[in-house]
Amino acid sequence: MKNSIFEKNTLTWIGIIFITLILLIFQDKWVWASKYPKDLIVPFSDWINFSMEKFIEQFGWFFLSISWLLSWPIIGAQWLLHSLPWIVVIFLVCFIAYLSSGVRLALFTLSATFYMVLIGYWEESMNTLALVIISVPMAIFIGFGLGVWGFFSKRAEKVIMPILDIFQTVPTFAYLLPILLLFGFGTVVGLIASILYSFPPMVRNTILGLNRVPDHIIESAIMSGANSKQLFWQAMLPSCKKQILLGINQSTMAALSMVIIAAIIGGTADIGWEVLYYIRKAEVGQSLVVGLVIALMAIIIDRITSGFALNSDKAVKGSQYLRNIRLNYLAFAILVSILLFITASFFQVLADWPYNLSIWVSSHINDFFETFVKTFKTEIKLVKKYTLFFIMLPTKIGFQQAVSPFTWGFKLEMFHKIFYFMSFILVAFWFLKNKKNGIFIFLLLLMIFLYFGLTNMPWLSLLLIYSFFALRVGGYKLALGTFLGLGFIVIVGMWPEAMISIYLCGIAVVFCFIVGTSLGIWAAHNSVVSAIVRPINDTLQTIPLFVILIPFVMLFKIGDFTGLLAIIIYAIVPSIRYAENGIRNLPSEVIDASKMMGSTKMQLLFLVKIPLALPVIMLGLNQTIMYGIAMLVIAALIGTNGLEQIVFIGLTDGNMGKGFIAGISMAILAMIVDRITKTVSKKRSEALGLSIK
Amino acid sequence: MILRTLIFLGLFFGNILNASSYPENNDPIKVTIQDWTGQHFSTHVAAGLLKEMGYNVEIVVSDAITQHPAIASGNINLSTEVWTNNVGDLYDGLVDKGDIVVVGELGLSPKEGWIYPPYMEERCPGLPDYKALYECAQAFGSAETFPKGRLITYPASWGTRSRDMVASIEMPFEPIPGGSEGAMVAELKSALAAEEPVIMMFWQPHWIFAAYDFNWVEWNPTDGKCIEESQKKDTACGFEQAKVQKVVSKGFADKWPAAYKMFNAMKLTNADENAAILEVDEKGRKVEEVAAEWIANNKNVWKNWMN
Repeated sequence: MKNSIFEKNTLTWIGIIFITLILLIFQDKWVWASKYPKDLIVPFSDWINFSMEKFIEQFGWFFLSISWLLSWPIIGAQWLLHSLPWIVVIFLVCFIAYLSSGVRLALFTLSATFYMVLIGYWEESMNTLALVIISVPMAIFIGFGLGVWGFFSKRAEKVIMPILDIFQTVPTFAYLLPILLLFGFGTVVGLIASILYSFPPMVRNTILGLNRVPDHIIESAIMSGANSKQLFWQAMLPSCKKQILLGINQSTMAALSMVIIAAIIGGTADIGWEVLYYIRKAEVGQSLVVGLVIALMAIIIDRITSGFALNSDKAVKGSQYLRNIRLNYLAFAILVSILLFITASFFQVLADWPYNLSIWVSSHINDFFETFVKTFKTEIKLVKKYTLFFIMLPTKIGFQQAVSPFTWGFKLEMFHKIFYFMSFILVAFWFLKNKKNGIFIFLLLLMIFLYFGLTNMPWLSLLLIYSFFALRVGGYKLALGTFLGLGFIVIVGMWPEAMISIYLCGIAVVFCFIVGTSLGIWAAHNSVVSAIVRPINDTLQTIPLFVILIPFVMLFKIGDFTGLLAIIIYAIVPSIRYAENGIRNLPSEVIDASKMMGSTKMQLLFLVKIPLALPVIMLGLNQTIMYGIAMLVIAALIGTNGLEQIVFIGLTDGNMGKGFIAGISMAILAMIVDRITKTVSKKRSEALGLSIK
Repeated sequence: MILRTLIFLGLFFGNILNASSYPENNDPIKVTIQDWTGQHFSTHVAAGLLKEMGYNVEIVVSDAITQHPAIASGNINLSTEVWTNNVGDLYDGLVDKGDIVVVGELGLSPKEGWIYPPYMEERCPGLPDYKALYECAQAFGSAETFPKGRLITYPASWGTRSRDMVASIEMPFEPIPGGSEGAMVAELKSALAAEEPVIMMFWQPHWIFAAYDFNWVEWNPTDGKCIEESQKKDTACGFEQAKVQKVVSKGFADKWPAAYKMFNAMKLTNADENAAILEVDEKGRKVEEVAAEWIANNKNVWKNWMN
């Protein structure tokens, strides 16, 4: 019976497809099934607004006093960084860079920091740095504490993990306003937002690191009579130092990216604020010039912290000799700083770089863009038109509405429709005959979906499809989660917007996955390609997302298409990276064995390498989706219409409940997709007998 | 609580030491600066004048919307330009509660409406009259809106006024929300560079009018008020015009009475701001410098505000 049409799962699928068709046919009669009735929308957002108001009335003082306390370290850090001449700060940062990774990084740091001086944004850079310096240690402290707690108490871990998921998937825009309402206004808001966003990686890495401490280390520590305190601090912690330093590194990067987003609510005249200022004026050149500061800062901090992480093995040995060297370093640093400080007080230029010596390169970049737009006017239009007509519109509103004389050059007649359905059904049954039930069902669903379009599909049948899919992939728990999560989106009335988000993100993800994975595989086989792709990836991931938007609007105008491109450019990075890593890190015995058995290059790639690397590639897909959702929120700034826009409206309109509900809905979508892809990846790797990390 | 105590102490000592003259106390007045040049100018003029009177002034950056809770909680004390068309429900609620105090209008007469580049008049004869748009919607068309014209409206978060109007006067245009000011300006710049069609809901004073030429779509003249919601195709009157209000935090007038009086009298015109915007955005000068220059040149104007 297995793999025939009468097999249980296939029958259920056919049942669901049948229900979908019925709902579609009677959609005018049963409006409730295709469009959720307005009267039944649960006014969660009003409830949230109301209870927030009451809550603030009662406990507002508590949060305001926290905020008052937290403002002091920031004021202190800003005061320190501003009162030191720039030359001293640069020296200290370069010196730390040298200690971390040597001369090359120190030279890079020198030129990068001097760039900040040269373009006239030193003050703002220091404000950003002050925020990072204060927020990162706090995030690390909190993250480490929670991580240790989660490691020792399974019950705590069960509570902590979902909270981490929420903090990492709810779009940051959605929790800016609640923070603002609770903690008042000013730099502190940015600080708290970046702590909230950056502590989760620290928790995860701490738990992971502690879990991976080899048993023999613990055993030998116990045998040599260590008490529990010694066991933890002197045996376990040193042996997972690397993982914890990785956590510090990731937390720092997260804090830095959040600092920029927090700039949107103001409070600090930092680099993020400047970037936003030029973006609002659509100054492509200047926003890139200033945005680069953030990218450079991220790269420097990343390299310094990961340098320390790599060298931690050597440092662990902590001999007297090393300690002496450290003391000497410290003395050297203080001495040179004092010397530079004195020199700077004689030569003003070393303390305050004059405004008129600053360099302006932005006009050249602006000119370049304008000329580009002028020259490639027709080509740009063409690309946009075809993508819109043949990919985006059909996905959104289906062939039924998208095919018209203006778009496709002909009207959709009866014979077109018959041809469309018949060919799909024929191919589908061919697969069924060959016992490929999965593909059979997939094709039938695709047929319905492409004809009617995502936004026209009844919510009821999509709910069934997604939940049953989750059941097949991950079992009852996942299915229940999917059902409840999507059901929530339905009853709060965010379903139509959610579909728009899925439509944009979905197309972007499919494109990223296909193109990105191919690029990654190519890069894994060709070191030249790899060397070209890597710096591009680095830049795309560290430059503030806002900066990418404006050039795209210049080229492709306001609208969904530009939003799509912006998402693609950001979300393609993990697809490339994971594919390359997956292929490069395959066990060499397997490859050698297949080579010896005489497989051709193509056979080797498609029959051995890709299937083996699939679990890792799937993780790349997972990350691509997460990145896509993250970028979607930013794309609201160029006029997309999904959940992300509601999050944004909630923020700018001061309607906290609305923004928060939309944010939660996005988080739900993200988490469902995350669980499903991770389960698939895990199953694949278990089937292959691999372990992935 | 801390803030209240401070205010109380401030009042107490202020009154004892110095009942009539200013500054009443040395607490910094927190003045907010936002993200468009006109506002930078008016803020620096206000801040400059307050400093002239001897007050401590602190300049705080904020966003046009997020400033409101900040003003209500006293983290910001003064904002020179609140545009009433773009405030959201939050602002009205806070004003009703008395947490934000409106001090009157700044004196700018803002203009909102649809703008287009002059070269569009060749492609759509009959402009600037709005009726011409019915005939030549396709001159403004694009692939995704065909056969309708493409109208860029304010970002969704600023409300749906153009969308509502297009629907009520049955204009063959597809409203596309602009997303953000940056995206809208980028669209204008790129359209101008390639001489492509564009029509967009926009507002003045804005620096872009100092940098590029635009014409405004003209509507039927009204005597006084234009009611946006109920207009019809033949008698469309366009848009209700916004007000630009000056606001301060609750208790400002008690804490800094003389500053309040000055700010109440302060007025700036479109001409003042446009001149300043041109200096800053076109000539690349610093806004602080331009504001200081205005203060130096207009002594007789602001001397009156202080009495």
